[in-house]
Amino acid sequence: MNEILEILSYPFVIRALISGSLISICASILGVILVLKHYSLIGHGLSEIGFASLSISSALKISPMIISVPSVIAASFLIMLTKAGDTAIAVASSAALSLGIIISSLTNSISNTSSFLFGSVLAVNEADLIFSVILSFVIIILFVIFYNRLFLITYNEDYARSLGINTAFYQIMISLLTALIVVSGMRIMGTLLISGVIILPAVSAKNLASGFKALIIISGVISILAFLTGLIISFIFNIPTGAGIILTNTIILILTRAIKTK
Amino acid sequence: MIRLELENAVIKYGDTAIIKNFSLKVESGEMIFVTGSNGSGKSTLIRGIAGLLPLSSGKIFRAERVSYVPQVEEADRNFPATVKEIVLTGTQRKGKLFYTQNDKKLAEKFMKELGIFELSDSKIKTLSGGQLRRVFLARALCGEPELLLLDEPCAGLDAESHKILFGCLQKILEKGCAIIMVTHDDSDLEGIKNSRVIEMSNNHE
Repeated sequence: MNEILEILSYPFVIRALISGSLISICASILGVILVLKHYSLIGHGLSEIGFASLSISSALKISPMIISVPSVIAASFLIMLTKAGDTAIAVASSAALSLGIIISSLTNSISNTSSFLFGSVLAVNEADLIFSVILSFVIIILFVIFYNRLFLITYNEDYARSLGINTAFYQIMISLLTALIVVSGMRIMGTLLISGVIILPAVSAKNLASGFKALIIISGVISILAFLTGLIISFIFNIPTGAGIILTNTIILILTRAIKTK
Repeated sequence: MIRLELENAVIKYGDTAIIKNFSLKVESGEMIFVTGSNGSGKSTLIRGIAGLLPLSSGKIFRAERVSYVPQVEEADRNFPATVKEIVLTGTQRKGKLFYTQNDKKLAEKFMKELGIFELSDSKIKTLSGGQLRRVFLARALCGEPELLLLDEPCAGLDAESHKILFGCLQKILEKGCAIIMVTHDDSDLEGIKNSRVIEMSNNHE
């Protein structure tokens, strides 16, 4: 207990706790839509493009957001609007990962690579915290306003179009928010692991929920539980934060699967 | 009142014209059965009218409120949704984001008429094909359509469900809705007043 209180006395821990909790909730909400629309690989593709952009910004010694935000947003639009298949996403993500590694090696910033790939609580500065708070607020508000529409479009896009609804607008919205949550979460969760933070809670929640609303709520609860547990594990065992969070998410997935098959 | 007017419509998949120079005028209260062999373009025609496929050339005028009932095979059966959640989506329209009390009453009314009210809170994956067809029809009727498009709504329906469906269609025809129904079953063509049959041939005209 004393150890936890001591950990909480560090400002960077408080920043990571607030930022990570908000990102976890929002990532899991977006994850529900991505999983149900069979776009699970998108987060993975975007995060590796994010890794390449982090490597470039580190090499150029400029703020990561300047390169990450536009490049990940552009990639998300391309993937969603062209309905790129699994193969195209896999090719783009491998290429981006190798580009990132090459840049890190050539510029001798390879020591940062582990932190980029697997996440670190030390990475969250005040600007990141403000960005994640604003982004989370925007995502939650948009979900409340467009909940009925997102349900309809996620279930059957064709039917929505037959009602005269502009489905492209909602696709762009989901692409944009996914890209921003990847950028916002990739330094604390790790570029290799942020996609798991988006997808795994939704997959676990699917084992328990009966309806769409329940799925979103359960997914959010699982996500924040996994984040807090993963954060504590990462402190206790001195392992990368993202790895601790994904390990916890994986255990939850196995447990929910067991409950479902009972 | 005209609910649909197609003039020399052409609908293509890639470079192939599936529907060529097709013209059709449908008035309120009229029922159109679209028949023809597999690959004759029945579903393409109805998807074109629903706005899901663009016209390569020609003109289309369609009523403002159009509801489309796709084939049940197109549905994602594992989607985590209840019957009530799906039926309510039929009340959505461009510019309307929230459900009203009236929407909920409409959903309840049509679920009762189609005999699926008891299934309101059931997950859609637990439904039979016939029950899911009735869910899709209830969803379409909730939009209070002026033009209703049905793609093989009777496939796999038992006699009782068939009777409920046609009773419901007769009622909305009497209220002025026009209906276009794709069907393979000749027995569907009987029993509806003010109906016409359009047989699609392989030249799709």
